[in-house]
Amino acid sequence: MKNRLKVLRAERDWSQADLAQRLEVSRQSVNAIETGKFDPSLPLAFKLARLFGMRIEEIFTDEDGVSSGS
Amino acid sequence: MKLNIFCQGGSAVQRRYSVRVWTANGLYVLFTVFTAFSIRYLHLHGFWAYVAAVVSALPIVGVLAATGAYLNQETDEFQRSLGVQCLLWGIGGTLSITTIWGCLEGMVRAPHLSLVWIYPIFWVFVGLSFPVVYSRYR
Repeated sequence: MKNRLKVLRAERDWSQADLAQRLEVSRQSVNAIETGKFDPSLPLAFKLARLFGMRIEEIFTDEDGVSSGS
Repeated sequence: MKLNIFCQGGSAVQRRYSVRVWTANGLYVLFTVFTAFSIRYLHLHGFWAYVAAVVSALPIVGVLAATGAYLNQETDEFQRSLGVQCLLWGIGGTLSITTIWGCLEGMVRAPHLSLVWIYPIFWVFVGLSFPVVYSRYR
């Protein structure tokens, strides 16, 4: 699953560690999610969405690269 | 990437897990030495020898319980996933090796492998799996 975490994080000038602290997870977790190697659970995806003030489908896209909400 | 449960600076859950495991390992060494000493030099036998042997193994059960508790309490789902993957490698490796060895014992009379080796074999496979599992997320 692809995502826009790196861009969203960069827009806020947050490091991976900053985002990890806000999500209460390890930096490795943020890195794994950001690089698409680990798909977060629904609760963590909601937490991310709330943190960025967006909907989940605005952050994550499915395998075909098409936003689920579009 | 580091495995937080074996590194300083991990979460409270990871630190608690480390304390539990090292405590259980210490008790295992203590109980095993005491039991071996009692049976060999104090001639402990019968019912109490059985009890002492079982008590020696209880800290090992404690380590497995602590591992289960860690997985249950770990709030970082990625770290939990890595831990589960390593444990699955450990289970798979142990089942494979012991089954192969069982066939060797039964069919070509290979030397008998004592059951007490299953536990260390399991953790050896878990340990060997770390670089394999973690390299996937670099």
